[in-house]
Amino acid sequence: MVSFELKRDRILARWKKQKYEWIIEPRYWRNPILWSMLLLVVPLFITGYPNILTMITVANLYACITIPLALQMTGTGRLNFGPQLYLGLGGYTSALLNLHLGFSPFFTLVATILVCMLVSLLLSPITWIAKGLYFSLITLILPLAFLDLTFIYGSLFRGEVGLMGMSPVINLGRITWNYVSYYYLSVFMMLIFLFVAEKIAQSRFGVTMAAINENEDVALMMGVNVNKYKVFYYVFPSILTGIVGWFIVHTFRTFAGITYLPLDFMLKMLIIVMIGGRASVYGMIPGAYFVCFLEDSLRSLGTVNYFLFPLILIIVLVALPRGEGIYGLYHKRHPRDYFPVMRVRRE
Amino acid sequence: MLKIDNITKSFGGLRAVNDVSFSVNQGEIVGLIGPNGAGKTTLLNLLCGIYKVDSGSVRFEGNDITNLAPNRICHMGISRTYQIPQPFDALTALSGVTVAVINGKKRENMTLSDAGLDASYFLEFVGLFAKRDTLSRDLTLYELRMLELARALATSPRLLLLDEAMAGLNPGEASKALDMIWSAQEQFGVTILWIEHVMKVIMKAANRLVVLQYGEKIDEGPPEAVMANEQVIQAYLGGSDVND
Repeated sequence: MVSFELKRDRILARWKKQKYEWIIEPRYWRNPILWSMLLLVVPLFITGYPNILTMITVANLYACITIPLALQMTGTGRLNFGPQLYLGLGGYTSALLNLHLGFSPFFTLVATILVCMLVSLLLSPITWIAKGLYFSLITLILPLAFLDLTFIYGSLFRGEVGLMGMSPVINLGRITWNYVSYYYLSVFMMLIFLFVAEKIAQSRFGVTMAAINENEDVALMMGVNVNKYKVFYYVFPSILTGIVGWFIVHTFRTFAGITYLPLDFMLKMLIIVMIGGRASVYGMIPGAYFVCFLEDSLRSLGTVNYFLFPLILIIVLVALPRGEGIYGLYHKRHPRDYFPVMRVRRE
Repeated sequence: MLKIDNITKSFGGLRAVNDVSFSVNQGEIVGLIGPNGAGKTTLLNLLCGIYKVDSGSVRFEGNDITNLAPNRICHMGISRTYQIPQPFDALTALSGVTVAVINGKKRENMTLSDAGLDASYFLEFVGLFAKRDTLSRDLTLYELRMLELARALATSPRLLLLDEAMAGLNPGEASKALDMIWSAQEQFGVTILWIEHVMKVIMKAANRLVVLQYGEKIDEGPPEAVMANEQVIQAYLGGSDVND
């Protein structure tokens, strides 16, 4: 019958003349299908705990925000400190259109994409004129300015209490089923974002993206149309981030700028980018899950978490090898892979 | 092939390049020499579009390329290396050359693996094939200079601008590098405009020398004739009033 044998680094299973082996070290479980299956199966076991389900859904959404952000940071060669601007923009666009003009979720999605594209196209020349710290400062200010706007025009945006009662994208009739369906939607969105980002990063445009992140001027001398690339890598991730805003509006059915636009949300996103794997697209998912679990498990301790949360994050950042984040532990190094280098200050 | 007419460039009150004109013919190796701060690198930067020309014009194969964007100039067939090597630190040697292969010309249907194959040819040509998977930041100075050469050749240029390709190399490496540049000229049919401080090398390699001092051209001609010129000796070694 089946016989198992433990080798130094792998488990061998023999059945008749067939031999199967399983390598014990997790970094060699390089099977995307395995991980995707895990994501798909897990919620079926925790349908009784809606808070855990919501937490994982939020983690997926964080990954959905940070995957495009990672793409943007490498593609423009600049650190964007305000990714939540487009989250707010997308969220408010779809919420307001849905509440006041009665657009269905599909049409609000189209409107969200259009609005985010327009605004990011208008703002994309920032990537030409500003570099390094200045770019980070400009992008840092924009969401805060938007937050102020939601307070100033409080009758429309309802800055402090938030907008409520938007129509849901799916309604299965029971709250538990709805939670599960939102979980699956968020997983699918995350996987699609990951797929797109991965396809870009592994293509010829990915190599050029790496070159722009390394040295813009030399890339320009090699015939790369740097300005065009930078506009694309600013606009496209912005649209993806806007879609996450749309998703939040039509699943959680409340949207408040005060939750998503302030600095602490931005900090969380940047921490995910750095802890997950220094802006490598796969690393965003473990990073998002890690930060979400940590945040949730420390919440019960009350105000301590303002002290413990940063402390644990700093320890993790310092302790992880080569500064490559959680993904660096799992990642099997391949010589042609590009692990992005993040620098705020550039000459 | 390349025709430079009266180009001038000032930085504030300093005229870095003042009314320089000369031309480079197909298949030549032209040496651009001069003491430190003579404006050689500035001239090169003007040619590849990093700086904008104040007045004058640059023509390449009949087309006016004055003040074009660097990527357009690269697509027309001018490529350069840097005085201080500027590799893509976190990219491997092969990936760095691949970027040049993909973007140096309009190659819209080239896949990444095809480009990698092309790039490995250029790496093999400069003798870095064994280091293809080494990160650029781990290479030595000689290897970096060779990587720069491979990157420049990979954009399939017709005119190659070399900025002090020999700086910091020991005599053995320098002679290897010189052989490499000669065989590059032979194999790829490139014309070379070469800034160099190592006189021994440039005297051997160049068909013609152009001498700059304080941003102005003081002499042009075959190496021996240039070296005999009183003004050039004065520029390099100082005034002759010591002997008086």
